[in-house]
Amino acid sequence: MKTTADAVIIGGGITGCATAFELARNGMKNVVLLEKEYLASGATGRCGAGVRQQFGTRINCLMSKASVELFENLNDYLGFDGDIEFNQGGYLLLAHSEATMAQFAKNVALENSLGIPARLCTPEEAKEIVPHLNTEGLVGASFCAEDGHLNPFKVTQAYAEAAQRLGVEVRKFTEATGLIMEGGRVAGVRTAAGDLATPLVLNATGSHAPLIAKTAGVDLPIIGERHQILVTEPVAPLQKPMVISFQYGVYCQQTPHGSFIMGVGDPHEPKGFDQGHSWDFLHRVAEKIAWLLPPLAGIRIVRQWSGIYDLTEDNQPVLDEAPAGCGHFIAAGFSGHGFMLGPTVGRIMAAKMLGQTPPIDVSALNLGRFARRELVLEPSVV
Amino acid sequence: MSGGPKKYDAIVVGAGPAGLSAAAELGRAGARTLVLDRDTRPGGQLVKQTHKFFGSEKQRAGTRGVEIARLLREEVAALPAVEMWLNSTVLGFYSDRVITVERVKDAPGEERREWLEKVTAPVFVLATGAAERFLPFPNNDLPGIYGAGAAQTLMNVHGVRPGRRVVMVGAGNIGLIVSYQLLQAGVEVAAIVEAAPVIGGYLVHAAKVRRAGVPILTSHTVKEAHGREALEGVTVWRLDEKWQPVPGTEKYIAADVLCLATGLSPLAELLFQAGCQMAYVPELGGHVPVHGEDLETSVPGVFVAGDVSGVEEASAAMVEGHLAGLGAAARLGLVRDLAAVAAGWRAELASLRAGPSGEKIRRGLAKLAGQTAGMAASSPAGSPVSPASAPAASAPAAPPPATSAPKPGKPGRTLSPQLTSTGEPAASELESSLPPADRRRQGPYAVIECFQEIPCDPCHKACRTGAIGPFPDINLTPAYEAAHCNGCALCVAQCPGLACFVVDENYSPSEALLKLPYEFLPLPAAGHTVDLLDRTGALVGSGRVVRVVRSRSKLATPVVWVTVPSEKVGTVRNIRVPATKGGAAE
Repeated sequence: MKTTADAVIIGGGITGCATAFELARNGMKNVVLLEKEYLASGATGRCGAGVRQQFGTRINCLMSKASVELFENLNDYLGFDGDIEFNQGGYLLLAHSEATMAQFAKNVALENSLGIPARLCTPEEAKEIVPHLNTEGLVGASFCAEDGHLNPFKVTQAYAEAAQRLGVEVRKFTEATGLIMEGGRVAGVRTAAGDLATPLVLNATGSHAPLIAKTAGVDLPIIGERHQILVTEPVAPLQKPMVISFQYGVYCQQTPHGSFIMGVGDPHEPKGFDQGHSWDFLHRVAEKIAWLLPPLAGIRIVRQWSGIYDLTEDNQPVLDEAPAGCGHFIAAGFSGHGFMLGPTVGRIMAAKMLGQTPPIDVSALNLGRFARRELVLEPSVV
Repeated sequence: MSGGPKKYDAIVVGAGPAGLSAAAELGRAGARTLVLDRDTRPGGQLVKQTHKFFGSEKQRAGTRGVEIARLLREEVAALPAVEMWLNSTVLGFYSDRVITVERVKDAPGEERREWLEKVTAPVFVLATGAAERFLPFPNNDLPGIYGAGAAQTLMNVHGVRPGRRVVMVGAGNIGLIVSYQLLQAGVEVAAIVEAAPVIGGYLVHAAKVRRAGVPILTSHTVKEAHGREALEGVTVWRLDEKWQPVPGTEKYIAADVLCLATGLSPLAELLFQAGCQMAYVPELGGHVPVHGEDLETSVPGVFVAGDVSGVEEASAAMVEGHLAGLGAAARLGLVRDLAAVAAGWRAELASLRAGPSGEKIRRGLAKLAGQTAGMAASSPAGSPVSPASAPAASAPAAPPPATSAPKPGKPGRTLSPQLTSTGEPAASELESSLPPADRRRQGPYAVIECFQEIPCDPCHKACRTGAIGPFPDINLTPAYEAAHCNGCALCVAQCPGLACFVVDENYSPSEALLKLPYEFLPLPAAGHTVDLLDRTGALVGSGRVVRVVRSRSKLATPVVWVTVPSEKVGTVRNIRVPATKGGAAE
């Protein structure tokens, strides 16, 4: 087993796998990816799997638009043997208050200016898009037909396999315990299976990123927060778009094989690394969804689980090298929308690690912004 | 929000032999106990078990499973502290010790209703049982391929024959017993296929199907299944000593049903959810909870019993149920001196596992015991424990044998390869089951074709003359002294393995009288002529039925008295009632 690498990626979710692939694609020869469990075992494989371009900040619009373009051709781009199951059924964002509707109006103007084909809808138009929607109390909606959802396991697998074909070594069930620093620079990574010498590291470990960063002397202000989710039995096709309400904190999509996947936020969810779940979550989701999408009331739930949001103060990730020039790159803190940004973030981080100019300027998402109070607040997140 | 969880003193998940036994102990101790089961009738797998149980009286040996289910049900129903929810599937075990339950009301004439309940309690007994394993081979998804337990449910619960001609895979107890029950239901069993070189189930069960004409192909497995819309046939092939298939040994067997009896896996999902420390122990069926002799898992107050704690016989499941119920009651402060109360059950369990048939379980439990080191040492429910394989210390000592008293079989008896690989005893084994020649001429005597050490003693309990002595260890083979035998055939009617016969060589100058157990319908009647079959089911002559003895007790096996040509009395072990002369219509 090799003990040195040109770069080490820590984390086998979409961010890690996409960056590993992009590094190899851009000519880096000796890349090792470390994953403490199996690929997509963290937040990637536990997420609601939606992809939208409807955001309230320019930077998120640009990154997600680039991601959608990549997702549209990802099977070919990666030479994937399977199908990532990208279903562009759209995203219907619901506004149950005038304030939300006003925010949507601002968002749509921004989105349209960047070439994202989103539009505002009246409650009647929303009901045309999702006929089983309960429009009681609905002020309006925002809809983008290019948005959709896909299979996060297959996407991650597709990136990992493509990366491996280009020589990346994927080490599963190998936990990175910290960085080895020499003279203020990264010299290697400690793993449960021995040290690995490298000058470049990507810390793509989601809510665990602060633990790795700490070993480089970096204080990363990311906190873990549990979010619960469930899947129902498969039923006949009923709903094409992802339906989402920021006010009620719910989202709901139907997968290609017929199961509905849905979740609801709760400010009382535990912070930290708890990946358990609660029975009252079932009641909370059932209550909200049965009201919002009445035909779903009779469908059986088959499973529930949870994942950990890697939350930052402004709900935006840290895409940075910290301390500057030390070789420790961070792509974490996605606050619930990391999966959908994954393909673009992979390109951005690979470029940064190779010393090239990233395709999108993400300098605003530096680590120092929290101390300097230069937050890039994203208003439109669940 | 539909309210918080309902509170009980104890919750038992699973109303099979283990769960009902645990509920009985909890209910007797006065704990407000809720029993949950997804089926519409309690009893678990017992409700379809029409065969008699082995073991000792305390585990209701000699009683048919379906009857044990009724007895357990009545015992629990008589306890006012116990409430039972049927048609209630447990979905989840949450970190706040709340269990979610899907309840269904589906009464005839009423609208079907489903809803979610939440319940909680300080102690739990998880007795969720086990599920059948499947086997990978080409076309294993054809209609007509069943788990053996599913075929048994179709027949014995719903009264539906699964097909006309069956190939059974697996010669463990389930494969052997279900084969026999298929024969009883009028289904042909073409063969029993077993990958191991020896029969895994009790050899008395093997002998029963063998003398009904079913071949047992040891060192064989399924190569592939054939059929278009549904199963039409099965190709089997031989395995060499390294378990590798031998090309060229393929045999095609026409069949419309293939039953898989290839083992059980504990249904451990709730244990994982509860956070119990788990261990993978193949001898116990797979992932099982680490637990001590008190059956408490690594999560305080969460007890296990039955197959979910390690796959074993139902007799052991009942004893474990009592122990887990007592342990849980002690946790609630409702049982004072647990060690004293549990001692008898622990001795029972140790004795059930003591013989050669318990070797695998003992090995598995020893592996599991190696894992308990990581568990909290102090368990309030616990008491000083002895190893599972320890001799039954508190079992009553056998009276010293008198000079002419039956001598118990010696432990560690070697079985012939013929017996273990085909189910047919070797000549030497048959010889050993016969009294001396002078005794044989003196009058009727019993022949007990029970060569394997299994935990079972009803023959002794049945014997009124003292010819079958007491069992100092329930795993020994019967101790028979022909001098005391009067040929009454009570042992024939009671033996759960149908291994006792009575022979009267002096019946007439040319005929002997054979009294044999017979569990098929229609029963013959006195005067009928029947086919005589040998130990492989081959036709060897015909005989006349002299009498059919049916005890008023539901437990007893009908005993047919049939005349046999004198020279064939050592060969004939079964009869077949010809369709035209059988009397009763089907």
